[in-house]
Amino acid sequence: MIDCIVIGGGAGGLAAAIEIKRLGHNVLLIEREDKLGGILNQCIHNGFGLEIFKEEYTGPEYADKYIKLFLREKINYLIDTTVIDLYKEEDIFIVKTSSETLGIREYKSKSICLSTGSYERTRGQISIPGDRPYGVITAGSAQRYINIDGYMTGKRVFILGSGDIGLIMARRMTLEGAKVLGVAEIMPYSNGLNRNIVQCLNDFDIPLYLSHTVTNIKADDSNHLKEIRVMKVDDSFNVIKDTEIDFQVDTLLLSVGLIPDIILLDQLDVEIDPLTKSVKVDQSNQTSIEGLFVCGNALQIHDLVDNVSKESQRTGKAIDLYLRNTNHSNKKISFIPGVNIAYLTPQYIDFSNPNEKVVVSFRPKKKIEKSLLKVIQNDRIVYEKKKMFLLPAEMETIELDILHFDENQPITLELEVIS
Amino acid sequence: MYDYIIIGAGVIGSAVARELSKYQVKVLCLEKENDVANVQTLANSAIIHAGHNPEPGSLKARLSLWGNLLYDDLERELNIPLLRTGAFVVAHGKEEEKDLDKYVKICKENKVPGYQLLSGQQARKIERNLAGSITKVLSLPSTKVTNPWEVAFALMENAIENGVKLKLNHRVTKIIKENDFYLVEVNHHINFKTKNIINAGGVASDDIGQMIEIPPFKIKGRKGEYYVLDKRNIGFINHVIYPLPSERGKGVLLTPQVHGEILIGPSSEFVDDKHQASTTQKGLEYVKEHSKELAKNIPYNQIIRSFAGIRSTSTYDDFYIQESKYNKGFYYLGGIESPGLTAAPAIAKYLINDVIGVQNHYLINNQFKPYRKAKVEFHRLPLNDQKRLLEIEPKYGKIICKCEKITEKEIIDAIHGLLGTHTIKGIKKRVRAGAGICQGGYCEEKVMKILARELNLDPLDIIYDKDNSKLFLSESKVEK
Ligand SMILES: Cc1cc2nc3c(=O)[nH]c(=O)nc-3n(C[C@H](O)[C@H](O)[C@H](O)COP(=O)(O)OP(=O)(O)OC[C@H]3O[C@@H](n4cnc5c(N)ncnc54)[C@H](O)[C@@H]3O)c2cc1C
Repeated sequence: MIDCIVIGGGAGGLAAAIEIKRLGHNVLLIEREDKLGGILNQCIHNGFGLEIFKEEYTGPEYADKYIKLFLREKINYLIDTTVIDLYKEEDIFIVKTSSETLGIREYKSKSICLSTGSYERTRGQISIPGDRPYGVITAGSAQRYINIDGYMTGKRVFILGSGDIGLIMARRMTLEGAKVLGVAEIMPYSNGLNRNIVQCLNDFDIPLYLSHTVTNIKADDSNHLKEIRVMKVDDSFNVIKDTEIDFQVDTLLLSVGLIPDIILLDQLDVEIDPLTKSVKVDQSNQTSIEGLFVCGNALQIHDLVDNVSKESQRTGKAIDLYLRNTNHSNKKISFIPGVNIAYLTPQYIDFSNPNEKVVVSFRPKKKIEKSLLKVIQNDRIVYEKKKMFLLPAEMETIELDILHFDENQPITLELEVIS
Repeated sequence: MYDYIIIGAGVIGSAVARELSKYQVKVLCLEKENDVANVQTLANSAIIHAGHNPEPGSLKARLSLWGNLLYDDLERELNIPLLRTGAFVVAHGKEEEKDLDKYVKICKENKVPGYQLLSGQQARKIERNLAGSITKVLSLPSTKVTNPWEVAFALMENAIENGVKLKLNHRVTKIIKENDFYLVEVNHHINFKTKNIINAGGVASDDIGQMIEIPPFKIKGRKGEYYVLDKRNIGFINHVIYPLPSERGKGVLLTPQVHGEILIGPSSEFVDDKHQASTTQKGLEYVKEHSKELAKNIPYNQIIRSFAGIRSTSTYDDFYIQESKYNKGFYYLGGIESPGLTAAPAIAKYLINDVIGVQNHYLINNQFKPYRKAKVEFHRLPLNDQKRLLEIEPKYGKIICKCEKITEKEIIDAIHGLLGTHTIKGIKKRVRAGAGICQGGYCEEKVMKILARELNLDPLDIIYDKDNSKLFLSESKVEK
């Protein structure tokens, strides 16, 4: 019997597996691709590791650091192996895998750490009208084509959405000789990190069209992208007449958001959070199903890989505690996103295990210059802190001391705007 | 010299090809696209209608009722997927209930099997998400759903196995009538000789007619736009849900699909350019607005795709299935809009047996093989079968499209099958790689590499769908 099966060998899975193994458990990590490292492998720009290693690395370098640590721990792992089914029978998880070399196998485990990352929202999900040519692709797919396979989809590029991958790709395609004509963002502010706006757009004179969106797509005779139409939107995202700008482009990159990939949990009756589009967890990142833990982008979309590593390491520690403690009492109370909070994790606080600090991650609903962050229980402010320059694009974390709370009442986090 | 040339390899051309292959005739099917089922047959609701709509006595009524029955044979012989959903035509309030009675009458005259009236409450017991405002429902248990591309592929593959020739990328550009045969010009330079022509050109059937005469009808393209709901909403509704039909057609529907998605749509709008199946803001909004009348809490946030199709509505208000009045041996299949998919197998039989009377001129093909082996959908098989197959073919173990659990072996088979393919879209049509929630985000690159390897092509030559719709412009860092 395996103590923990870690599903996914990206930044999250690696950090969690290393921690669980170091704490004395036997671990099996399963990765679908033919190498470890996950999405980091295609992120050849730098900016990774500043928080953890105090030094800037590229994605593959950062991945390499962790892969070396992982290999040193002699952790069992499978690559080129896809988990096709995950279910629980009594107290045991059954993980069904498929691969060319081993065929279909089943593994049994006491716990699961799901770190399957996220997938990109596509044109279909935002329903851009028009023709359906080739050349409208997600920024991540284009990144893989350029950085791993060495192919350019086109030379005249427009980008919809100012997510970080889109911004990075604006610079990347420019450096590869393409002309990036602009980035349109439907919100009145960018959705990417500020440093990426500066380093990827401003430094290359690429215009950012805030409060704009793509309203039509045209194909040429061979069904390749020929032209897009960009229009301004009002406060309720309705397009404003007579604001059309047409761009002749052969590539439209979509950087319109990532969604946690928890498709594997479909068979399990897990409690879902519509705000994170992932599962609800307590401070150990344990879901409503005992022994099932989720971390990394599968839990919530992170801006920085360093935060994924930290969160996953914490999850590893929690899994250790879970495996040691066979007597799992349950004293969960809700942790609720209040005024001006777009989402938060954890969604529950478990009081049966009060020796750890609770690390809370959240994003504000809008850009807020000056605010008072309050944690409230029973109309009582338990924690309060001034926060400056909050952006939806930047995840915030705070630490709470569990001892300051009453075990029976829900807790709310809110942001009060002050001037 | 061919006995028959079929123009068009949609579901109609394919059904006709198979029906003809039951005789000792030399048949060629010419298709302008680089794949079967690329136009009307690509983008429709996939419903095998029960027959509550067409005017009693019309060809549409007769052939769709018969076609509906024949699908059970196709399922058995060709292993096409069929979902026996049944359908609900819903009425809101007294006025609409009166209209519903009109359709009960049509059902009676058309002899629609098993139709029945239910109260709103009764219907909601069966379909819990039906809108609360629905007061009465006409239930049509014989309604089914299929996968139209798979139907066309199955018919055409079986036709090819029985001797029909298919040529893709062959656009008919001119037809010349000689004394007792026709010269069919393709792509402006190749000519084929044939005794008879069957015009199954869909929205282009009037233009093809125009090549030899003034056609007896004109096609007025009517666009239908759709949303696709992710398959994780399977069970949200289990019947096809129709509003009351109007002069615009059957209206915006909710339709469960064979692989678990739910279609929302179509809209209905006459268009100037019948070859332009693009979606529009207006059309998509129309679909959203009107679908709200059918069910409560439709999860619009789970939409994974939208698309449009153009119906070949004609100025003749029925299917036009006749020999030309001026040119013997030239046969029209015109105005084959909905329920054309439903009627397809019946249309083929009617044309071949009643209109043409092939049996009077040619011998039966004793070698005709009616069966087509089911294609392997690996992850729908029981574990034992999977293990057995894996021993022979380890590539069934390699998952390429993780949303739909499509394996490398299935993709390789699609590339080298009877109706092989060399395009990303062709793979998606055959095995569904890229049809799931990530829409190819994970697997398009992998499919591209398998295509390149299997067909011995440079990735720079891999195309998306139409020839020249290349994925890549160049290698990076290389000036060309
Ligand atoms: C929005 C919509 C919804 C529908 N819903 C349903 C439904 O739910 N149930 C139902 O029963 N029916 C439905 N239908 C109708 C059904 O899809 C059609 O009746 C059926 O697909 C028609 O098949 P076809 O072969 O005639 O046309 P097509 O599939 O369009 O085939 C015609 C073929 O001819 C080829 N061609 C044209 N010109 C030339 C040329 N010069 N040379 C060579 N080849 C040529 C074209 O490329 C094409 O492949 C719907 C249709 C639409 C558009």
